[in-house]
Amino acid sequence: MTLKRMTFLQHLLAFLGLEGRLHLEWISSAEAQKFVATVTGFTETIRRLGPSPLRTASLARSENVLTAPMRRSGCPGLSQTVVPEDGTKIVNG
Amino acid sequence: MDLKFVPSICSYCGTGCGVLFEVLDGELVGTLPMKTHPVNQGKLCIKGWNLHEHINSPLRLKHPLLKTFGRFTKVDWGKAVDVTAHRLKEVIAAHGPDSVGVLVSAKMTNEENYLAQKFARAVIGTNNVDHCARL
Amino acid sequence: MTPIQQQVKNWLEEKRVDIFLAYRILDGHPLPHAFTREHIEETAELVTGPARYSLEKFATHIASRYPAARIGMVARDCNQRALNVLRVWNQLKDGQVETVPVTCCPSHLHHHADCSYLEPHPAGAVKQQLGQAPNQSLAEVEAQPAAERLDRWLYEFQKCIKCYGCRNICPVCFCKECSLEHAELIGTGHLPPDIPIFHLVRAVHMAGRCVDCGLCEDACPAEIPLRLLYRKVNAIVKDLFDYETGSGDTLPPFSILGDKPTMSPMPLLAAAQE
Repeated sequence: MTLKRMTFLQHLLAFLGLEGRLHLEWISSAEAQKFVATVTGFTETIRRLGPSPLRTASLARSENVLTAPMRRSGCPGLSQTVVPEDGTKIVNG
Repeated sequence: MDLKFVPSICSYCGTGCGVLFEVLDGELVGTLPMKTHPVNQGKLCIKGWNLHEHINSPLRLKHPLLKTFGRFTKVDWGKAVDVTAHRLKEVIAAHGPDSVGVLVSAKMTNEENYLAQKFARAVIGTNNVDHCARL
Repeated sequence: MTPIQQQVKNWLEEKRVDIFLAYRILDGHPLPHAFTREHIEETAELVTGPARYSLEKFATHIASRYPAARIGMVARDCNQRALNVLRVWNQLKDGQVETVPVTCCPSHLHHHADCSYLEPHPAGAVKQQLGQAPNQSLAEVEAQPAAERLDRWLYEFQKCIKCYGCRNICPVCFCKECSLEHAELIGTGHLPPDIPIFHLVRAVHMAGRCVDCGLCEDACPAEIPLRLLYRKVNAIVKDLFDYETGSGDTLPPFSILGDKPTMSPMPLLAAAQE
């Protein structure tokens, strides 16, 4: 049952654009090696994926959710903060 | 087994969304948006969706209550009207009609709301009358 | 009298059904109406559309109060699917509801239709730029890059005014206690609700239940493309478990344990593993 629901949820999250952030594995208390390998592997996966986009967006009242899609599509009239590689801050009108 | 569908207008605000009440055996059991209504086109807000809930709510007042010495006691309508009129007169005599405000409710009928504002303006003599649906 | 009106009249007179759910034009609006033997003359006013209300939900309300009642109703394909689901979930008894099939929503295969309210509108300029257009195919959504797809979904979800309309109108939502009202599961007292948790909880609960009738999307004041989301839910259930929701008499895969596991956990994301 858990397997069915988790697999379903993994597919649904992938559809929303959150692929690979949910993992299910059966590990017995005698399988220390497997535990280490799984946790290390999953930590590595998450690290590669970077911080969750929901972290910045989950607080729906914050401006991020409203403006993120507009920024992506280059919606005019929105101020954008761009941080170039040398660290100086430029604010575009 | 008596199931009826009664079209009506949501009373909560001035928008005027069309609602459809589901009445089973004379008891209001549900509210639905009216699909073909030109105002809301099959949509409702959370207040409209729950229009039917206060009708059969056990929290409703069924008798006038009078607060004496910090406690509510049940009184009949004659007594309630007498006390209210007497106290209102005292307050108006002491502080003027603008010291009274009338608050009316979206859960009453349109006619009752009309009477309440008439009472505020013509009887008490104040424009302090307001309604929760003043959007 | 049209053939359907005559048929309903006969059914009521023969006591084949005690109550018949269909529509009647009242003040110019097609509204649901319960036809009974006591007012048999009203069957002359019976129409089958064009609006679509979840008649099957009214049937469950009657059935919960009168378990022996025999209920008749006009049914489009989506009504029929919902009735199947409700029977599987024990909200209606076998053979309790008799249906008169009527014409259905328009689709690619089905040009003549009585009900055109549930076809998704083409998206406007803002929605096309920022949100998910409701008339897309699943493949079109999946073709978007993951980050953009998430952005677009979050834009749609944050419009939610938490009216619970999608749940209230849903013909297969019948639980007395709803997870969406659990203060411990979903934060209360702020708008928009916790996103995407609020919408995902509902989507997960729609697995094996959603009959793709489109009423939720139609009732949504914020125009969130819920039908698109639940269509994916149905597609996953179909792909993983080969279960066609609303088609048969078997319980959905999430309600039965099965004899032995038929699947294994998904591996870690391949792209990130290299």
